[in-house]
Amino acid sequence: MPVLISPAEREYIINGVDHNIRADGRGRLDYRQIVVETGLISQASGSARCRLGEGTDVLVGVKVEVGQVDMEGDDEVIRERKSKRGRVICNVECSPIASQQFAGRGADDFNNELTQTLDRVLNGPQGGLNLEKLCIIPGAQCWVVNIDALILDYAGNLLDMVFITTRAALHNTKVPKTIITETEDGLEFDFSDDMEDAERIEGWENVPTAVTLSKIGSRHVVDATPLEELTIDARLLVTVNKDGKICGVQKGGSGSIEPSLLNEMIQTGGTIGQHVIQKLDEQLEREEKEASKKTGSVGKLGFFAAI
Amino acid sequence: MNVEFLLPEARQNDDDVEMIDVSDKFVTPGETISVDAQYMRFGINDITISLCKDFKHYSLSRSHGTFSDEKDGIIKSSLAGRVEIVNKLISVRTVHSRYNAEIGDLIVGRITEVAQKRWKVDINSRQDAVLLLSSINLPGGVMRRKTEEDELQMRKFFSDGDILAAEVSGTFQDGAASIQTRSHKYGKLRNGSFVSVPPSLVQRCKTHFHVLSCGVDVVLGLNGYIWVCKHTPSLQDVDSETIYSHKNEPISDATRESIARVCNCITSLARKFKIINDSSITLAYEESFETQHID
Repeated sequence: MPVLISPAEREYIINGVDHNIRADGRGRLDYRQIVVETGLISQASGSARCRLGEGTDVLVGVKVEVGQVDMEGDDEVIRERKSKRGRVICNVECSPIASQQFAGRGADDFNNELTQTLDRVLNGPQGGLNLEKLCIIPGAQCWVVNIDALILDYAGNLLDMVFITTRAALHNTKVPKTIITETEDGLEFDFSDDMEDAERIEGWENVPTAVTLSKIGSRHVVDATPLEELTIDARLLVTVNKDGKICGVQKGGSGSIEPSLLNEMIQTGGTIGQHVIQKLDEQLEREEKEASKKTGSVGKLGFFAAI
Repeated sequence: MNVEFLLPEARQNDDDVEMIDVSDKFVTPGETISVDAQYMRFGINDITISLCKDFKHYSLSRSHGTFSDEKDGIIKSSLAGRVEIVNKLISVRTVHSRYNAEIGDLIVGRITEVAQKRWKVDINSRQDAVLLLSSINLPGGVMRRKTEEDELQMRKFFSDGDILAAEVSGTFQDGAASIQTRSHKYGKLRNGSFVSVPPSLVQRCKTHFHVLSCGVDVVLGLNGYIWVCKHTPSLQDVDSETIYSHKNEPISDATRESIARVCNCITSLARKFKIINDSSITLAYEESFETQHID
């Protein structure tokens, strides 16, 4: 993994972005091909794996389990609201095999940064998931949604892929149905044994996705490769939901962005994000249809097919 | 704006694209390479080279990726990689391994560090190679003497991150390679982009500087690093100041597209474990126009 770049390469990349022909022939607003696959971890409630081009490989597992509702906080109103909600816990981890820079303790800070970004988006009011529906007994039990993302390979544009994969994994997630009964000791609940009864997490379709726009020279690009990431002045993470509404903006990198360009970047981020969600949902639907059609033996898939 | 999602199978299907096979045989550990007893296996020490038939103590010797059964003398592979047969010598070179420097190899490397009178160069090997200040061409003529001033302005010649073409001039005791750029052919690389492939896919050829018919130059480093750039006429009569310049020449959009296409061809050849040389790149390049073009 190159952490160094020569001035000639930098200039070549900046000029290429300016001419709308990037080093791999893409235009400024083109993504690399994304291969999506869902439901590959049998132990998880839902899972997905995305590979971007020849590189970035993200595996997300979602596990729902019963836990206590979060009752902490000083404010009575907030505590009251929290007691009727399920919880979402995110964790993103970069595997040391993905890249040289993740070896040893190198990935610690980066892991935290990624985890926090994902956590902030999914736990906020814009997060999409219907947390009230995840509450089983108000003030006592709720569903805890653990989202674990593992980065298996790195070739740029990590955050976009983490968000896309998370959305695909949540689409794949099934929550067992609970039956609440009233007894003398109060409310009690039981799970329905029939897996057919398991439901999709409500609100998965409103989960936002992220588009990272990288400012290179005076222009901006999506889906930067590692070499392009080395030439970036500043980057802007725009999270968008399926209606094209902006759910969050975060600026990164050491450079600055002019107000006019910032506006333009948020705009493009919005339209691209919506487009990505639309395409992803189409693909997920197609995959589901194929899976229901297919019976009997299945060919090599997933880890085994990837060479 | 282009976003494309695929199923894993969809990607697998493109494996079936027929390509003219220019590669040798690939084997996995335990696979039979040859039942013919005429071949010799290649040993690390010259002493261990022996005829397979009479070879009794295979466990005692370390040979290059092969072993044979005591009884039947069948030669099997102990590694996953490509079978190489040179006359009657048989060996297996692994696909994913670091580069082993050999004297005379052309390599493409990236400067990682500037040290006392030397540069450290990443050449995809186990250790960084060493480029001594005395083994580069200083501007101002071949005969110029190296001065202390040159030592102080080493970064003017090569600085961190620069990419260069060089030749392996020797190896140190610890296995690190020593490289040199004392020729017009070698030196700093500009006007293009960098591709990395497994080193075993690049074979030794008469020349590693190729000019493709599409007006693109390719420098195939034996270490698996490849430089694809705009065609520039031979560097013979270029003044020495420009040798160390890091300014690109103006590149037309058409050339940029060709460079990008060649780079993509090389990565897809590498993905399919095909040997990379000028003819395979040209074939892939021509083939690439047949496939769908996204505007």
